[in-house]
Formats: sequence, C-alpha cells, structure tokens
Amino acid sequence: MASVPVKQPPTAKQTESVEQRFRRLEALWTADTGYLSSDTEIVGHPAFQEIISMGDAVVPFMIRDLAARSSLWVWALPDLTGADPVTPEDRGNIRKMSEAWLRWGREHGYQ
Amino acid sequence: MMSAIDAIFPGLAGKDFKVTSAKDADYNCIAWAVGVTDDWWWPGGTRRTHWPAGVPRQETMNAFQLAFETLGFESCSTEVAEAGFEKVAIFADSQGIPKHAARQLMTGRWTSKLGKMEDIEHDLHKVNPEK
Repeated sequence: MASVPVKQPPTAKQTESVEQRFRRLEALWTADTGYLSSDTEIVGHPAFQEIISMGDAVVPFMIRDLAARSSLWVWALPDLTGADPVTPEDRGNIRKMSEAWLRWGREHGYQ
Repeated sequence: MMSAIDAIFPGLAGKDFKVTSAKDADYNCIAWAVGVTDDWWWPGGTRRTHWPAGVPRQETMNAFQLAFETLGFESCSTEVAEAGFEKVAIFADSQGIPKHAARQLMTGRWTSKLGKMEDIEHDLHKVNPEK
C-alpha cells in the first residue's frame, strides 16, 4: 500500500502576487484606520504591520504611490529601508515627507 | 455590518453631515481644527507627526489643551457660537484618551477632518466617539 499527500487546492492568498497581497492589506488598513488621527493607532494596525513584515519588496509600490500623491507610506518607509531622508523641520508635513522619499527613491533606483 | 466610520464615529451613522472636501492625507483633525492643512498634528511618533514644541507628546486631554493654548485658545464653558471667538472641541474616549477635534464655523455648525479622509460639516456631538 502506498499513499501520497493530499494536495490542498490553492487559496486566493496562496496565489496572490506580492503586489496583490500589498494592495489587499492596504485596503484593509485604510478601511479600518482611514478615519483615525492617531498615528500610533494607524501604524499599529495589524495590516500595516504585516505590510512592514513584507520587507523591501513593497518599497517600489509605495514609491509609485507617492509619485501620484502624498501618502502615509512615509510612516512605513523608515522601517522598511532604514533610511531617514526627511529633515527634522519637515516631520509631520506629509507632502514634504513624501517629496523627500520620492527623491530618495530616485537616488536609489526606484521610479 | 458596521463600517469603520460607524465604529469610530457612531454619531455619523445617520449620515446627517455634509462632505466638504476630497480625501487628503496631508492633514488630520487636530491640524484642521487649528486651520492647518499641511501638517499632521498628533503627539505620537516624533518622526511622523507635528506637535507644538514644549508640549508633552502624550495622548492626554491636558497635553491636547496645552497644544491648543500655544495658539491662544482658552477653555470655555459653552459650545454656543460667540461673535469674535473661534471655538474648538476636543473629544476623548471613555478612558479620557483624545480621539478627535472639531472647529466651529461662523454658522454655529462644526467642521471636522476625518483622519486621512474628507472634511465634513456636522452638528457638534455627531463626532463624539462615545455617542
């Protein structure tokens, strides 16, 4: 007698690309925290933390988003990259923070 | 099923408010309450947000009152509009942790920025997180 492991049918999560996973988590994060003002609650959300855990694979998507409009991704990029291109006087100014990260992105080969 | 806005601002569930801007991640409720649209005001991470110099970065009503006082606001006893005064209201949850602020308009109605989403015009207590 012989047996083979039963193959589980792939789920949507198993087959999604990095960007699909990123966008799914982004949608969840925005749905839950979009109306909040507390940055500690916003970055503490499990979906945001899961995005951080995806590492630098998500940096291109964030840089691309910043090219379209300023975004709270500026709160994720320091943890993802270890960089800090925002000057102290611009901290809190999401638009200027986004511009600083766009410059950083160009300097590091992200378009 | 309860949406996020209903969970955070249950008073808005009746939709008795007017959206007055597009979504904008550049500023939040505290910034909007003081008339700022290019900073995110919150006493959280020093690398993430703006908070007035010298005011404790604490999520307490005292710290929030001190932040508003840096711009000349003083405590007042009524939400009734008074000529010559601009009023703001700070809302906290049941544990006293500030969650939101709104600014009074000339009409006596109030305006709020909802996180990174839209500005709205509303009755004051519609944005009380405890209602």
